[in-house]
Amino acid sequence: MANERINHKWGMVVDIDRCIGCQACVVACQAENNIPLNTEDRFRQRRAIEWIHIERYWEGEFPNVKARFIPVLCQHCDSAPCEPVCPVYATYHNNQGMNVQVYNRCVGTRYCANNCPYQVRFFNFWEPVWPESLKNQLNPDVTVRSRGIMEKCSFNVQRLSKAQRVIEGQMGERITDEKMREGNFLPACVQACPTTTLVFGDFNDPDSQVSRMKKEHLVEGGRGYKLLEDLGTEPNVIYLKKVDIHAKVEVEAHA
Amino acid sequence: MRWSGVSAVGAVVFNGCLIPEEELQIESPVDLPEDLVTGIDNWYATLCRQDPEGCGIIVRVVEGRAKKVEGNPDYPINQGKHNARSEAGLQALYHPDRIETPLFREGSSGEFQAISWEDARSKIADRLGSLQDKSKFLLVTQPLRGHLALLANEFVRAHGGKHMAFEVLEQVNLRRAIKDVFGQDRMPDFDIENCKYLLSFGADFLSTWVSPVKYARGYGEFRQGSGKRGIHVQVDSRFSMTAASADEWIPVKPGGEGILAMSMIYVMIMDGLGDRGVASLLTGGNGHQALDAFRPNSPDVEEATGIPSYRIIELAHAFANHSNQPSLAIGGGSAGAHTSGLFNLRAIYSLNLLVNNVNKDGGVFFNPPPPVEDLSKQGVMDMGMPASFQDWKDLDQPEVLMVRGVNPVHGLPAGNNFASVMDKAGFVVAFSSFMDETTEKANLVLPEHTYLEDWGDDVPDPGPRYETLGLQQPVVRPFHSGTRGFGDELLLLGKDQGLLGRLGLDGIDNPTYQDLLKKGAEKLWQEDRGSIKAATFDGFWNGMLQRGGWWDTEAKSQAAAPNTQALDTNWPNVTMQGPTGENTYNLIPFLSNSVGDGNLAHLPWLQAAPDPVTTVVWHTWIEINSKTAEEKGIHEGDMIEITSPNGIVEAPAYVHPAVPPWTVSMPIGQGHTAFGRYAEGVGVNTLSILAPLTDGDTRSLAWASTRVSIRKTGKRIDMPRFEGNVPAFELEGERIIKLALPD
Repeated sequence: MANERINHKWGMVVDIDRCIGCQACVVACQAENNIPLNTEDRFRQRRAIEWIHIERYWEGEFPNVKARFIPVLCQHCDSAPCEPVCPVYATYHNNQGMNVQVYNRCVGTRYCANNCPYQVRFFNFWEPVWPESLKNQLNPDVTVRSRGIMEKCSFNVQRLSKAQRVIEGQMGERITDEKMREGNFLPACVQACPTTTLVFGDFNDPDSQVSRMKKEHLVEGGRGYKLLEDLGTEPNVIYLKKVDIHAKVEVEAHA
Repeated sequence: MRWSGVSAVGAVVFNGCLIPEEELQIESPVDLPEDLVTGIDNWYATLCRQDPEGCGIIVRVVEGRAKKVEGNPDYPINQGKHNARSEAGLQALYHPDRIETPLFREGSSGEFQAISWEDARSKIADRLGSLQDKSKFLLVTQPLRGHLALLANEFVRAHGGKHMAFEVLEQVNLRRAIKDVFGQDRMPDFDIENCKYLLSFGADFLSTWVSPVKYARGYGEFRQGSGKRGIHVQVDSRFSMTAASADEWIPVKPGGEGILAMSMIYVMIMDGLGDRGVASLLTGGNGHQALDAFRPNSPDVEEATGIPSYRIIELAHAFANHSNQPSLAIGGGSAGAHTSGLFNLRAIYSLNLLVNNVNKDGGVFFNPPPPVEDLSKQGVMDMGMPASFQDWKDLDQPEVLMVRGVNPVHGLPAGNNFASVMDKAGFVVAFSSFMDETTEKANLVLPEHTYLEDWGDDVPDPGPRYETLGLQQPVVRPFHSGTRGFGDELLLLGKDQGLLGRLGLDGIDNPTYQDLLKKGAEKLWQEDRGSIKAATFDGFWNGMLQRGGWWDTEAKSQAAAPNTQALDTNWPNVTMQGPTGENTYNLIPFLSNSVGDGNLAHLPWLQAAPDPVTTVVWHTWIEINSKTAEEKGIHEGDMIEITSPNGIVEAPAYVHPAVPPWTVSMPIGQGHTAFGRYAEGVGVNTLSILAPLTDGDTRSLAWASTRVSIRKTGKRIDMPRFEGNVPAFELEGERIIKLALPD
């Protein structure tokens, strides 16, 4: 029923063996979330905003060289280093496992970005500007952040809360993977990803794909791992290792 | 805008009898607007026209404004997936530099004046009417498919004129090789999803080649779907985004791709691998001796490919190995862009015949002709075939030139002066939404609707193995009152020449392009088959609008594999043009993953989308091998002067370890002098220095055959790139990217 709150724990599984580095998730995120235009100058100042971005790591020298891609977004950590340092409680953990940024509380100390080991928090150094006609594209469900505000991946909370209203509130049912897909409630990056690298869902729902993948892969000898796990941040994003037919050599080298 | 949503939401949130739990929790004292407010939205199915692939998309529309593009889950090509380029169609729709009204000027210089559509039409009618030699009318468009191909074909024939389809870095060799090897006029469907060993020669199929969203979707399953993980080997003279994803990248010497494939065929035949009947046909019954020139241990082969004989033998065995079946070979991009391009692609696609994978899972599936008979006529199909580079060189000077949706002034390389063709033409009409390099040279500029405001349909090529007709509908009203649809205008312009009769539209008052689409759809409805069945045509049409098209999964190609022809066993003529010796390199140009061939350079999301391999944004760069750069004292951001026999451009260096030391590479698509605020002044036009060499048979542009010398200018820029925006942070012994062995 509408008032019996269903406990969700939203999270993601990222299979980097599927990732081809195509940037579809990056642009989808910018379109959905009213991210300011990343001009050339902003890249030069290293202040471009990409809630989800593709990191590329080189390995080896020509001709035995590899470039590996990994999509990195807010890990929505259960023990998030960004949260305790905010003096105004602008960033907090909600009861659905998500790390949330409250824009109208943020005073722009940037402590949180400083403390985030994943570098997924972005500061608005400028007032966002769009030519008049391009403003027609802006998503009415998402706040345009002003200058001096920190912003970050929200797991598209606007879509999730709509899903809750529609599926739980109106239909009185639990949100399942299937219903998320049918209703276009999946985060924009997940929806866009052509290779299905990104899988989103509810870790509290044992039947969800993310729960099943976690069970299958996040085990001894499995492909599952978490980024910078030793820091103890307890991320809600699980990565699946890149498969390399020559990986044996490296495993030995590192052992 | 938001308020319409509030009441609906309020009804849900406040109708309850209990206080929502989170209001009692200290950690949730504030809700963002995101938590509460939603506008009422509609999603409409249509087609993406940013890429030739033609994905089905659904567009979120709130209060008459398009907000978001996503993949149409029903559409057979992309099955709910899409890419960065289709996402950015919204920025074309709401671009601040769109042309809003028809513009006219006498002569090829002087100021444009706004005129009405009626005046514009009468000017065109006057010019076409007074043309003495009717064949001096030329229509230039992108390759056209579906009913627009039918309409444009009849329009040109009604006026006695000609048509040419323009494609930047045209893939004439690819289409010809498919015809020669498989006997197919249409591109086949490559079943990447189900193959176990994928050998790709130069095809950047995950990024820009032919049908990248479809291939990428299949690739995800190829990697981690239900079956055994497939192996992907990329033979490529450049380290592309696709090569980066491969299990192995083999940096072949430019032009040696076909020789490598021939050498593999030699090994397969000699070692009795693959289909013996096919082997006999390919060699004219002479066995592997017929291919003796290509034996792997020949010094010529190693010289041409740069690959030692043992690797060639390994590759051939891996490709034919039972445990790797089904295996699949594809080729294109730079592999087909040499003076021996057709030879290369024929040899590469012939590998498929040896492993007998035609019309089998994990192999090459033929596509059926278009579902509507009118669309499968030869003249209509020809509208989708791009003209070769030589065709553009040999162009008959037109008197009246009409250009639609393409930019040949920017997109044709040196040795081909489309600008002077435009200057010499008496009257030039440009249908375009933006003032690009071609449009600004016209006499009459006609602003078109963008595809999100217009009707259309598409027979995807390559299709999904069965008959498909995608439908494009306006998802929003035209943003500017002064734009019109290209199809509608052709109908008006051809009315007096009997165009309506030719199209069977004469029974309708003032028919529009939509009427033509409906007429085609009606034929499908009468056949009563496929994905939509309805008692009335209106019901059928609504079904097409809702699902984004019609398809019949039962209607597959009836074509059998053709008789295999003997291979051309003569050593190919691989010619390069440009300097040789110390400090000279093969220039490998490539299509940008974001701005494509330059047709999307005006969209800021795409300019700002990092190149996957280099992460560079908003620029043209030159990729140089790290060791070479170290020897030459070149660092990232150093401005490099790149000189070919056809010109000089200057671009900043991006240094990385995966550039073969004998090459340099540069993306195309930038260097616009016109095309709106986000494109102008960004980077340089790489096409301007390409050698005008062509394939010996097809006269297709050999765009990977240019040699250049490079020189450090001493100037330096701070490279705009994503790398460094987020400093990579790795703990000792804990890598960001972890590796596993295959199961």
